Amino acid sequence: MKIVVAIKQVPERDAQVRIDAAGKWIEASDLHFALNEPDAYALEEALQLKEKHGGEVVVLSAGPERVATTLREALAKGADRAIYIACDDLGSRDALSVARLLAAAIRPENPDLVLTGLQSEDLGLGQTGVIIAELLGLPHATLILHVEKTETGFTVKRELEEGWFQTIDLPTPALLTIQSGGNKLRYATLMGIKRAKAKEVLTVTAAELAVDAVPVVVLEQVTLPRKQKSTQILSGTAKEAAAALVEKLIVEAHVL
Amino acid sequence: MIPLLPTLAEPQHFSLLEKLLFIALAVTSAVAFWRRFGIVLDKILKSKRDPGFRLFPIGKRIREFVWEVLCQAKVIRERPLPGLAHAFVFWAFCAFALVTLNHCAVALGLGFLSPRGSIGCLYFYFAAAFALLCAFSILALFVRRFFIRPRWLGAKLSWESGVIALLIFVLMASYLASFLVADSDPAARVLWWVHTLALLIFLPLIPHTKHLHLLLSPVTVFLSRGSFAQILPLSDDEDFGLVAGTDLTRLVSLQAYSCVECGRCTEHCPASNTGKLLNPKEIILGLRGYLNEYGPASDQPLLGKYNSQQAVFQCTTCGACEFQCPVGIEHLPILVGLRRGSVNTGVWEDQHGSQLFLALERGSNALGISPVERDKFIEKNALPLFDGTQEYCLWLGCMGAYDPKGREIVLALVRVMNYLGTSYGVLRKERCTGDTARRLGNDLLFQQLAEANLQNLAENKVKKIVSICPHCVRTIQEDWREYGAPPAVEHHSEFLARFVSQLPRTVGPGFSPDIGSEGGRGPQRRVLVAGVEEGGFNPRTKPIAPGGALAPETEQTASSTQPGKIVYHDPCYLGRYRNVYDQPRKVAALAGELVEAPRNRERSFCCGAGGGLVFLGEETGERISHNRAQELVATGAQTIAAACPFCNTMFRDALTAAGEDAPELLDIAQLAARGLPPSDVS
Amino acid sequence: MSGILVVIEDRAGGIARISWEALAAGQQLAAQLRLPVSAADIGAETKSLATEVAAHPLAKVVCVEHPLLAHYTADGFTLALEQLIRAESPAYIVFPHTYQVRDYAPALAARFGQSLIGDVVAIDDGPVFMRQLMQGRLNGIYRHTGNGPCFLSVQAGAFRAESVAEQLDSGSRSSHGTASVAPCSYQGMTSVVPKMPLNEDGALAPEETASSLTAVSIFTPTLDPDRIRTRPGEPFRGGTQTVDLGSAQRIVSVGRGIKDAANIPLVQELATALGAELAASRPICDSGWLPIERQVGSSGHTVSPKLYLAVGISGAIQHLVGMKGSQCVVAINKDSDAPIFEVADYGIVGDLFEVVPALIAAVKAAKR
Repeated sequence: MKIVVAIKQVPERDAQVRIDAAGKWIEASDLHFALNEPDAYALEEALQLKEKHGGEVVVLSAGPERVATTLREALAKGADRAIYIACDDLGSRDALSVARLLAAAIRPENPDLVLTGLQSEDLGLGQTGVIIAELLGLPHATLILHVEKTETGFTVKRELEEGWFQTIDLPTPALLTIQSGGNKLRYATLMGIKRAKAKEVLTVTAAELAVDAVPVVVLEQVTLPRKQKSTQILSGTAKEAAAALVEKLIVEAHVL
Repeated sequence: MIPLLPTLAEPQHFSLLEKLLFIALAVTSAVAFWRRFGIVLDKILKSKRDPGFRLFPIGKRIREFVWEVLCQAKVIRERPLPGLAHAFVFWAFCAFALVTLNHCAVALGLGFLSPRGSIGCLYFYFAAAFALLCAFSILALFVRRFFIRPRWLGAKLSWESGVIALLIFVLMASYLASFLVADSDPAARVLWWVHTLALLIFLPLIPHTKHLHLLLSPVTVFLSRGSFAQILPLSDDEDFGLVAGTDLTRLVSLQAYSCVECGRCTEHCPASNTGKLLNPKEIILGLRGYLNEYGPASDQPLLGKYNSQQAVFQCTTCGACEFQCPVGIEHLPILVGLRRGSVNTGVWEDQHGSQLFLALERGSNALGISPVERDKFIEKNALPLFDGTQEYCLWLGCMGAYDPKGREIVLALVRVMNYLGTSYGVLRKERCTGDTARRLGNDLLFQQLAEANLQNLAENKVKKIVSICPHCVRTIQEDWREYGAPPAVEHHSEFLARFVSQLPRTVGPGFSPDIGSEGGRGPQRRVLVAGVEEGGFNPRTKPIAPGGALAPETEQTASSTQPGKIVYHDPCYLGRYRNVYDQPRKVAALAGELVEAPRNRERSFCCGAGGGLVFLGEETGERISHNRAQELVATGAQTIAAACPFCNTMFRDALTAAGEDAPELLDIAQLAARGLPPSDVS
Repeated sequence: MSGILVVIEDRAGGIARISWEALAAGQQLAAQLRLPVSAADIGAETKSLATEVAAHPLAKVVCVEHPLLAHYTADGFTLALEQLIRAESPAYIVFPHTYQVRDYAPALAARFGQSLIGDVVAIDDGPVFMRQLMQGRLNGIYRHTGNGPCFLSVQAGAFRAESVAEQLDSGSRSSHGTASVAPCSYQGMTSVVPKMPLNEDGALAPEETASSLTAVSIFTPTLDPDRIRTRPGEPFRGGTQTVDLGSAQRIVSVGRGIKDAANIPLVQELATALGAELAASRPICDSGWLPIERQVGSSGHTVSPKLYLAVGISGAIQHLVGMKGSQCVVAINKDSDAPIFEVADYGIVGDLFEVVPALIAAVKAAKR
């Protein structure tokens, strides 16, 4: 079974957010980057499927040079091959354009299954996987916690709102976007990294993939959120603050 | 004229038959000996060579050998009476060297040391004195092992020890008895044969029992690496630590066969003392069992039949085992090596362990807290940033930057440094030194952290580091060397000790010069700093069910806590690892009178946090921290002085079990800062 | 049609509150752009829902009906709506940002060469759309620049369902929404929204019980069963359902700050003292410290109680989304910069292990 996992390198989760000079994105000079967490779960799901059913796991990522570290990390965790799409303007592309890029690279691979994380920790659009499915003509499902291979394709467990779940049957090939928390993630090991050195990383440029990059949606500006309402911070010792709070809730807010 | 004492009877004129019999028995004995010893030697020599092993400088090795082997220094020092008894037995063996040779030569008519000659006579009496000591000692040791039965020798009675003891006794007795008979007496011949048989039975028994240490341990001591708890670099791309037999090096195999099963390691092990599976002696004997069954060329995993992964991951790396071992076994490289074998290959699946590694992979610290919190801490307290011009870089570490109690320690140190006018700064960014990654055996993660940090330090032109955490100090100074040249680093106790004369002395709260008529009881009000009032980082914080932990008896605490007394707890990574014992005491003494815990200095009992254990799941059995906290509380001191933020966090939790009367828990920096005038508060 | 099309999502046979919010957003956009706003229901049998929607002044309400739409499938809904959009050519298509919409709307937009602007929290002149980035630590302002329809979805709680214009007396009915309104603002983006109160379950009681105000039409898409490639199963619960957070009036919610499962009883005590339900943020439920039914957040329940007390919760965006609709939010956290304080009415910066016991005592004292 051939599984392609599309992963994204994002700023580390607790990075300090400062807006850059142009006001269009955050200041990137001081940032550390890491594998997007939902993508880590997607990779984990792929690796577990490979361990159970055999086959190949190919990871794929687009972006500037620094993305290579994340690809190597994925190889170290057990992926067999990597495809790196060299693209310096990833940030200025919209979801459709990015998906076109990835789909163009995935298409020749003819995978049985394509996995992506549910959404990225920086933009949080949650669309790339779905659009890729559309572009490749694959059936898809999102918010997946668990994947099982069946005779005809896959049976997956999908998360619904408010504590509900659903199973869905899909044929193969298919695309799934994976929700965090479905598996226990594995840590990168020395053995993994050493073995990764021998694994293939194919580089493709965005130009070679020749996809339309004219954006249909533009991120014009970023701003820091303002408090929308004033928050009354009650000070003093725990006892004093607690007493003040109870009073406010009774007298001011009328909720007690 | 003083009658001469009878001299050693030496039977003469052995018949040809006797000589042949003797030769036959001697050959049989030697063959039996070699059949086993040869195998052991083979296994050791077939093990892989120790990479980077240097025989020179040899002076240090010779000194070690003389002190530890010939003088039996550690044997006696750590267990005085049994140690002395053993020393006598050992010295007797040494003294008997010529006796034994001569004894055998006599059978063949080639005796070279005559009891009639003055040298011979002197020698034989000299040997007799040792024989007496030896006989007495071996009897005492026999009684100890079989009647007194100290716990650390193991629950199972060792019959082989009994047999050996008997043989030794017979050897000595027969020797001494031969002074009481004349040469011509047939008893002399009988005694000779008894002695010979005892000898020839003893010889092949050596390689079949733990008495192999007679031959091996002097070599082991001589060849030991000479460092403490050293974790060596992995040798090549295929080296992942101790995975299978093929990873055992000659030194490790030698050490496995040298174990004398004395149990000193286990006796001082915090895990073994609190009901855990881990038993350092069994780890080493497990390797021996593995080598006996599979050999050094085997691919069988080391963790399996003879040793368990669970036990290996219960080690706090406190080093008490390695410190105690009289035959030079280096437990720490073995334990960490076994961990490396599991972690570097991804075989270790532990929920908390994975979480820790993932947190370190993605972020800057082991706690998984946003580095923004560290920035806020620095900003809020107006800590100066290191800009390359200051003398010291104050390393916060994970605990100092994120843990509320760790931060208090940093701020106390900062107060003192400001008072002293020290030039220092704090780095804008730090990453975890990687201590936990290293001790848990994750070489990939450790390399990443070490390299990132070394680069950061070089870019910031850091020359000297002072740190509040002994783990950081050790990792920076020793472990980072594998990847670069770390700057000079010292622990804050070493720093403060240099300026102790400039710091005002103070006394603890509640101290009253007039103890009054209550017989030294003093005021009862204690300042309770312990407990979870801060809600700060302590992943092991759990409300302790009443009776769940061994709380000290209240009457002991109430009546015997003495005002102004401080008990200092030696952290493993400062004491055994770094040999720093006096400096923190000098600093603590600024704030009161020092008392010592029963297990102190090199014998200090671990707090339980080391080896990455503070980040792993819940311990089974009694909590190590509770065991130690109980001991500290029982000294009756009003204050427990710590010098490590991890010890601090472990005891803070443990002391909640002691309730209201618990002594206060402070770092030595806080004790030093106590006497400062208030205007120095930053 | 041009104009604005709002896609209504039903949930358990009724109109989800978030759909009303989407409608409110659509009406706002309509007012800004002076365009008509319509709504579409989609399913196998949507007439009753359509009637409810049609009680409000809209240009029209379309029932997209087909037996193959009885259960949600991405293929079914995408195909059906694609056909509707081609037929009606709206300039804007507004969705509620639900799990279901996230599953198909991006694909639907891609069919038109467009990219969905998802999880919008505010709409300003332009129009430009604001959405949250970096887990709520950054706001981004997006503009649609492509030729063709603009697809957007709105975040739960960002637009007020109450502001869906109610049926007014027939004279003032216009295709542009309603008359004078009160301004409200989100993040400095002022918008003009009509305001009318909603009753408890999010529906509006029409002032007149006449037949629907807006015309309802049926649209039957052409759907081939072969083109529906996935087979969804029946939804099932993760565990046994013991609690209904959606209707709780008071909630005490616990987050990572609690540090250990053994400390939960402390917060339970507070909940009991307040007569509140106990809830939690995702990490707590992931760790199994509380059952998943008690989870509040984007992947759990969306709640709107009178009182929401967040204990040791930092306020990650996924959680805030679930409780933003609360009337009064109280936060207890030791970090004064925790995002939860942004949405709190009252806050105590302190150690919860000290504050919660004190609060329990204060509440009990107040009861006496």
